Amino acid sequence: MAYAGPVLLKRIPDDPAQRKLYRYADYIATGGYASLKKVLAMLPEDVIKLVVDSGLRGRGGAGFPCGTKWTFLPKDLFPRYLAVNFDESEPGTFKDRYLIDHDPHILLEGIAIAAFANKISTSYIYIRGEYHHEAKLLEAALAEAYEHGIFGQKHPGTDIVSHCYVHRGAGAYICGEETGLLESLEGKRGWPRIKPPFPAVAGAFAKPTIINNVETLACLPAIVEHGAAWFKTMGTPSSSGPKLFGVSGHVNKPGVFEEELGIKMSTLIEKYAGGVKGGKYRAAIPGGVSMGVLGTDQYNAELDFDIGRKYNVLGLGTAGVIVMNDKTDLVVMLRNIVRFFAHESCGQCTPCREGTAWMHKILNRIVDGFGQPQDFDMLAELCLTMGAMPGTTICGLADGANWAVKTFLQKFPEDFKSRLKSRQVQGVAGAGVA
Amino acid sequence: MPTMEVDGKKITFEGKKMILQACLDAGVELPHYCYHSGLSVVASCRICLVEAEHPNPKDPTQMIKIPKLIPSCQTPAMDGMKVYSKSPKAAANQKAVMEFLLINHPLDCPVCDQAGECSLQDYSYKYGRAESRFEEDKAKKPKKDIGPHVLLYSDRCIMCTRCVRFTHEISGTGELAVFGRGHKEEINVFQGRPLDNPLSGNVVDICPVGALLDKDMLFTQRVWFLKSTPSISPFSSGGENIFIEHNQGRIYRIKPRFNAEINKWWISDEIRYGWKFVHENRLSKLVVGGREEIAWETAEAHLDGMMRKAVAEKGPGSTALVLSAFDTTEEMYLAAKWIRSIDRQAWLVLNPPRVEGTDQTFKNPVTGAVTYVIRAEKAPNRRGAEKIISHFSGNTCELSDLAAKVAGGAFGAAAVVLDPVPGTDRAVETALTGLENLAVLSSRPTATTGRAALTLPVCTWAEKSGVFENYAGRIQAFDRAIEPLENTRCSGAIFWSLLGESGTYRSQDGRIMMGREGLPDYAGVTVPKREKKIQLMEFSPL
Ligand SMILES: Cc1cc2nc3c(=O)[nH]c(=O)nc-3n(C[C@H](O)[C@H](O)[C@H](O)COP(=O)(O)O)c2cc1C
Ligand code: SF4
Ligand code: SF4
Ligand code: FES
Repeated sequence: MAYAGPVLLKRIPDDPAQRKLYRYADYIATGGYASLKKVLAMLPEDVIKLVVDSGLRGRGGAGFPCGTKWTFLPKDLFPRYLAVNFDESEPGTFKDRYLIDHDPHILLEGIAIAAFANKISTSYIYIRGEYHHEAKLLEAALAEAYEHGIFGQKHPGTDIVSHCYVHRGAGAYICGEETGLLESLEGKRGWPRIKPPFPAVAGAFAKPTIINNVETLACLPAIVEHGAAWFKTMGTPSSSGPKLFGVSGHVNKPGVFEEELGIKMSTLIEKYAGGVKGGKYRAAIPGGVSMGVLGTDQYNAELDFDIGRKYNVLGLGTAGVIVMNDKTDLVVMLRNIVRFFAHESCGQCTPCREGTAWMHKILNRIVDGFGQPQDFDMLAELCLTMGAMPGTTICGLADGANWAVKTFLQKFPEDFKSRLKSRQVQGVAGAGVA
Repeated sequence: MPTMEVDGKKITFEGKKMILQACLDAGVELPHYCYHSGLSVVASCRICLVEAEHPNPKDPTQMIKIPKLIPSCQTPAMDGMKVYSKSPKAAANQKAVMEFLLINHPLDCPVCDQAGECSLQDYSYKYGRAESRFEEDKAKKPKKDIGPHVLLYSDRCIMCTRCVRFTHEISGTGELAVFGRGHKEEINVFQGRPLDNPLSGNVVDICPVGALLDKDMLFTQRVWFLKSTPSISPFSSGGENIFIEHNQGRIYRIKPRFNAEINKWWISDEIRYGWKFVHENRLSKLVVGGREEIAWETAEAHLDGMMRKAVAEKGPGSTALVLSAFDTTEEMYLAAKWIRSIDRQAWLVLNPPRVEGTDQTFKNPVTGAVTYVIRAEKAPNRRGAEKIISHFSGNTCELSDLAAKVAGGAFGAAAVVLDPVPGTDRAVETALTGLENLAVLSSRPTATTGRAALTLPVCTWAEKSGVFENYAGRIQAFDRAIEPLENTRCSGAIFWSLLGESGTYRSQDGRIMMGREGLPDYAGVTVPKREKKIQLMEFSPL
């Protein structure tokens, strides 16, 4: 492990007063687009190999190896598209926005590199509806990029002209799921697709398509500049490179911080986020609410792609850490999380559509003081039938909801059980009040 | 042929098929809601999930177990596959999905038209649990009037989206859509754009629950009282296969009957709702010379006598028979045979069916595949009539030419079979203006029946059997669904007895006779055996 300072955030200083927006000229002046220049002199295959060798894994949530994903494109099928996932709707996640707010060209350079490597005709930056400001920033940056020939040119050695557009979503979490995103991009309802066919074979407009997260692509300029071996000096063997961590919740200094993968959560909270606020650490969400919760004894969990296996959560997710101190009402917290999933379920799959809403109603009842002893087992059973049985639903939203509920119940059972009373007891209490 | 084992039962299948379709084709029922053989696969209801194993492609003696539950509607069947739909995992999922579907369902089966043919009810018995564990308030969703024929009870909807896919993929009209998200979502139409297309009634058939209901049938009959008789559309030249669904001599509805080459799973609203003439405004009196006649024998003898008198007085070629393209081929054969036995030069004339514009073709807007055709010709059997006329040949003419002959005074008498639905009445009336000795066979009163010397009340297609020949020359037989209206006979029966044949007329006897007499195509035509409806419920003793 050797992390020697910011890679992705190299143009974004820690001090808010020093931060500024890097336009094209500023970006060039700080070494920008040099990697693209280097890449254009390479063979596309060699760029893909470089990315495979770097061990770069997707930063959008699933952690799928980026280079491997690229190799799934069928050999002779064109045109090919790239969809850049800037839907960033996972609660607790704001890393992509932070990056684009200051350094939009790092993404555009990453896109240009990926487009060259994969002979992409058109790249679509799918940005969530609420990101008005970032949409404008990207439009402006894109105009500069076109002006300077980053886009609108043929990929060297081909007849394929590389284009890039910003496409604004309408504010639905499910449009961040990659095939929901593609449907939305095509102007349809953002309902995740059944697979096969996989997007690499028939994605946007039924053409081969790669979907990558903003941060994943933003790693590319540095990988090209310093090489795969350098990238691997950071992080752990299975999780290489630097990573943006968004920290929110009960900390003194919430924000986005860059560190290498594999750092301890305690380090992140204490060294970067100013320590836990208003009490002692009790629980934390490791990377967006879909991942479940880390227990009080998991404070030192290493934040890398192996976290799921080691600490009984779904995974690292977006590395958007939400910290909860010991005064947090975890039942209310879970209710809020489940409310989110019930609200955002796209409604296709029966278990997800009905199960999220049912769990939300049960949790509402518990929070309102009408929880009954059997509710605990009911919740545990519901989340299992909804998402934990692999294959139950079309996309991962149901699994996310399930992991949140499951891990809260497993790691903090007493918080729930102490709120549950039988009807008779409730009746007596109610009579007393009246 | 590739084989598969489903819950221990061997089935064979052909070609590329999903597991679910292969099972359904082999008569093995797997639960499914969103899947419909005629629509695209969405795999969203999740009740069809099964466990499966398939042979290792490298070493076929080894089986590979698929670790996840897989949607049988979306997973291709493979030779040698083993499918488990009753394994603990699959059963647990079925039970969970049933529970999820029912938590917000109003459970108003006692007042629901679908009760008795509802997948939710059937699967509930088979896969569900007896009690509800849902203690919360049910979501409330409204009833909506979404089109001229269809009502939507949103609270009964299970969001399978079959109806939405139908309007996008089959009718291509796209009126229905999903509105809202998650558990709040509903099916609806866009404001000012009701579900109003010529195929709209089909959505009621494919809705697996009682969410989409047919206004025409609403609250009129419980479906378990209905008997269904395979039949052929009586309104169009397509030869669409249907079921007539009836009880105690009354039709309640028409449903499509699957025929891969003709109408697939669908029928047009024109066919679906066009049966009303069977029960409305019917003739049931024999009228001879303005007086009501009681005995059919007398009336038939009168008909026979009228023709013989004309030939005796005015010579051969002074009579005519006008056929209706709504009659069965057998009946037309008997009628023509009868009149030619009296007058060897009798004129055979077809009352030409109404043609409305041109054929209306429906296509899947994405694939361009033709999904349904509404034929412009609005009668079921013009081909049959033409065949009979050309078989007897000799004196034949167009209806319009008949007028001149009648006006010329050379005519003695004519027998006319009228269409059971209005449309060509004027043409017939015009052609026969002034002819005194006119015998009319009709199921309803018209201007012609009003002035005819002899009126014989006949029955409609639902009350008889026979064959129709569609626009493409496809000969299809159908059964009688209901008893003929009192005091009516089918034209076949009338001419059968006038020809001196013994016994009650049966259409198959007509076909046998035709076979003997130079029309061999008909002898082997039969009504296809009813596909056995898969028995869904397996009640275990309580
Ligand atoms: C319900 C759901 C929501 C998601 N939302 C996002 C999102 O907002 N942004 C994102 O980058 N990935 C999101 N993902 C992950 C994407 O499906 C996909 O894995 C990712 O964009 C791939 O990019 P990567 O390989 O570069 O990480 C979501 C996944 C699910 C199941
Ligand atoms: S799991 Fe939920 S969000 Fe995902 S496709 Fe199914 S219903 Fe939609
Ligand atoms: S109305 Fe019927 S067919 Fe349409 S989605 Fe609901 S249940 Fe399915
Ligand atoms: S029938 Fe397979 S998921 Fe609905």
